[in-house]
Amino acid sequence: MFPELNSILSSSPENFTEGEFILLSDRQADASFLIHHYLTFYLRARCRVCFLGLVQSFSHYSVVSQRLGVNLTQAKEKGQLVFLEALKASPGVLLGDESSDKTAALDYLRSPCPELRGLYEFVWNSLSRAGGEDAAESWGPPVLIIDDLSVLLSLGVSAGAILDFTHYCQATICSQLQGSMIALVRCDDEEYDEDEESSNYLLKALSHQCSLSLRVEGLSTGYCRDIHGQVEIWWRGRGIKNQRKIFQYKVHDKGASFFAPGTSRAVL
Amino acid sequence: MLTEVLQGSDSGGIVIIRDTSSYSGRDLLKYCINCALKREEDVHVLGFEVPEQELRSELDSNNKHLFHFHNAYSDPLGWRKQSSFTVEQFSAENITRLVRETKHAKASVLVIDSLSWIERHHNPVAICQQLHKLKKGGAIRTICCLLHMDLHQQGIVESICHLANTVITVTAVNNALYAEAKTTHRKKSGKVMQEEEFFTVMENLSLSIEKRPSQSGHAQVHSDAKVDPASNLTFNLRLSEVEREAKEKVALPFVFSQEKKSALLKKGQGSGRIIYEPDANDDFDEEDPDDDLDI
Repeated sequence: MFPELNSILSSSPENFTEGEFILLSDRQADASFLIHHYLTFYLRARCRVCFLGLVQSFSHYSVVSQRLGVNLTQAKEKGQLVFLEALKASPGVLLGDESSDKTAALDYLRSPCPELRGLYEFVWNSLSRAGGEDAAESWGPPVLIIDDLSVLLSLGVSAGAILDFTHYCQATICSQLQGSMIALVRCDDEEYDEDEESSNYLLKALSHQCSLSLRVEGLSTGYCRDIHGQVEIWWRGRGIKNQRKIFQYKVHDKGASFFAPGTSRAVL
Repeated sequence: MLTEVLQGSDSGGIVIIRDTSSYSGRDLLKYCINCALKREEDVHVLGFEVPEQELRSELDSNNKHLFHFHNAYSDPLGWRKQSSFTVEQFSAENITRLVRETKHAKASVLVIDSLSWIERHHNPVAICQQLHKLKKGGAIRTICCLLHMDLHQQGIVESICHLANTVITVTAVNNALYAEAKTTHRKKSGKVMQEEEFFTVMENLSLSIEKRPSQSGHAQVHSDAKVDPASNLTFNLRLSEVEREAKEKVALPFVFSQEKKSALLKKGQGSGRIIYEPDANDDFDEEDPDDDLDI
């Protein structure tokens, strides 16, 4: 987790808002550093985390989390982290191999399957058990992290089905279990038409539902070695609580630094 | 006009609040619900997008028993087998039955949060038909719906709004606490009224309307008295009467006055005569080319 981001968002592993739906998005940049932040943040906060890794393998996140000071393998063994390794399990599902409980989660690969109900059942089963067999360890509120949703669009799932899935996740995890949900949507500038099956549409629809939105964009002036891009943080609330702030950031080996636009150490 | 339309006890019909992700129209929807409760009308909410607590909070506590929330948020598609109201059940018959089941107050108001959610699962034409049936049905006097304009094609938004008597479009105003509402109200007589207002919904669900936004950020100072630029200087820029007269008398260099014209037309005294010996190659014409000029 990134301490600077924690202070910007006024949250810490000891004290964070519950029941939040945090929407991460990027356009011409890579917001996955925020995924690593939230994964390590909630593991440090002793929450039960269900991670849907649809685009990278477990070892990828494990290596990065190691640098941020969290051991994913240990968390998985203790039962704190439930990791869906979709990349590894997908060939099995596509080729119709042996069925395990994981394959029901990847039902969307078997076309024509319009809904992500299987994936939702997997999430529900992972997070609804409070403690489960290991009653000695009582974990905090459940957290769902999805990396990422736009790949589902490429795999043939309709935007409506994805929105139904996120609706159910939000209704159960955020509202009922008072946990949090973090989802990443990656957008492409080329799909700027009003296509109802594009990531832009998904982003707009999810913006209506989220409580906090972090939009990562590359700098409009192009690539810069010292400033990797900018993040727009939007607290969606009513009246005064509705605030937008823009920060620029740079990703390091062991973290990321955030600063007000124009105040990068390289520039000042 | 926004207040009258939402508090309207005479209108009835369909009211649609259109919003975008930059400003949520749900606050205005809650204000609408509160007004209906204050008028002691039964309010039935088809809640798809937010849980009951979020809509119920801040409502008028006196008539909370008239507020009926039909939970379509927890399980709208039946995945968890604990659904109270599913999206499949959205039809005029089902809704009329639900409304008739509860005891009647003066009249019933149906609130739909939101039509955009239903549109993902139903044909827009079917939605329009059901809304029309509900309007004509008689069991419900007013239908108040929320629609997210940025999630649908413009044609769909317009066709749904065509059914409505009142369409309120809310948009955010840059970095301001208030928002802009454009209201289009179609009266029974057929007359269409439009108005743009700036409003905020306060903590206790009261509506504060401003006709024109107060420019608190950038104060434009329109000074009535013209500032005299020649005052407060260390040197004197003003003219005395004598100086002013002398200034008026000065002949400007390029003004073609009578004296200048006669001076130019007078032939010179010969001190500047030009003597020209033409060459063999020269085409020397003795005639004056300007002879035909009449000055």
